[in-house]
Amino acid sequence: MVTKTEESQLNNLEIQVDNGGGGAWEYLSLVRKLKVRRSDKVLKHGLSILNDSNQRSKLGAEEWTLYEQVAVAAMDCLSLDVAQDCAKALRKRFPESKRVGRLEAMLLEAKGSWEMAEKAYTSLLEDNPLDQIIHKRRVAMAKAQGNISGAIEWLNKYLEIFMADHDAWRELAEVYLSLQMYKQAAFCYEEVILAQPTVPLYHLAYADVLYTLGGLENVQTAKKYYASTIDLTGGKNTRALFGVCLCTSAIAQLTKGKNKEDKEGSQLQSLAAKALEKDYKQRAPDKLSQLTTALKSLTLS
Amino acid sequence: MGLGFAIGFVGVLILFHAAYSTIQYRALLKITEEEFSGSPLSVVFELSLGLLLCTWAALTVPGKLLCIHPDSEENRIVSLPANLDFMIFNHRGKIFPVEMNEKLRH
Repeated sequence: MVTKTEESQLNNLEIQVDNGGGGAWEYLSLVRKLKVRRSDKVLKHGLSILNDSNQRSKLGAEEWTLYEQVAVAAMDCLSLDVAQDCAKALRKRFPESKRVGRLEAMLLEAKGSWEMAEKAYTSLLEDNPLDQIIHKRRVAMAKAQGNISGAIEWLNKYLEIFMADHDAWRELAEVYLSLQMYKQAAFCYEEVILAQPTVPLYHLAYADVLYTLGGLENVQTAKKYYASTIDLTGGKNTRALFGVCLCTSAIAQLTKGKNKEDKEGSQLQSLAAKALEKDYKQRAPDKLSQLTTALKSLTLS
Repeated sequence: MGLGFAIGFVGVLILFHAAYSTIQYRALLKITEEEFSGSPLSVVFELSLGLLLCTWAALTVPGKLLCIHPDSEENRIVSLPANLDFMIFNHRGKIFPVEMNEKLRH
């Protein structure tokens, strides 16, 4: 999870490294720790460390971690030569390693030779049938080939064995979302929230899915999850504030004529609108007029 | 760290000294056959000084306190990690290849 302080730390380090201020290794370590995908920068700065034998020897055993990181980044940037060289260096150092085998199979994936990659993964799985990362790679491979239904099938099989893997649940939810299968996606997000109840972004995603599904009950639940997102972020998530406003107006429209006034709901909306206005005033004063017209149209309808 | 420890040590010494003074004071009272109503003012002052030093050391020596609010800057999650286990290489970056002239040199 990337928190606010870590994000600003990462951005500051990135600017520093890009301008030649040093600290490349710290930057690469932080990228690894936060699991962010900045392959082009990792490739550039990682290579410059690897090519400098003085800096490289300072790393000690961490050198091999850097080789792996740079190899994956190179595959992501499609600099296959660099990836190949890194994999070769690692293979020379660890001739028997399964982890290097996985990296080589990923290289085959990046080259687009799917059958060979599949073969490599199958043989790796024969040695260790419970290797989670290799199972995940197979899902990714199906997805990369455009075989989305195949990816869903693999993922469901994987989740039958490793039910506690919330990253896989999240991936499944995102795949379902890409196919507009919102009910299934909502189920996956429920699992993710159960596993990590303090992450506001999962609450937000679940609320988005429910709001998209529509219907009075779903929208009411969506509003509750938007509210919990506001609670967890201290009202600093703009999307959740907008979500509360939209949900309230949608509920008002759905219950129109039924004369079931919800006083608490309207109060929540006005509070959210106030918070939004305050935030816009601070950060984007020129867009404030657009916001007020949008909010007005929501309350009128 | 070293300073905190030293001050804590001094504080504990002062506390011990206060205890010792009180015992002595009581022994003195027994000889003069007076009732013990409370410690002398100097001992009370010594005691509060020792307490202050010990409290300060106990708060500084273990290190910085971390925030536990979920919405504080240190704990507020602003983005999820990229799901790198499911990373695919067959993406739109293919159309814009990175200009990399450097290679691994050994």
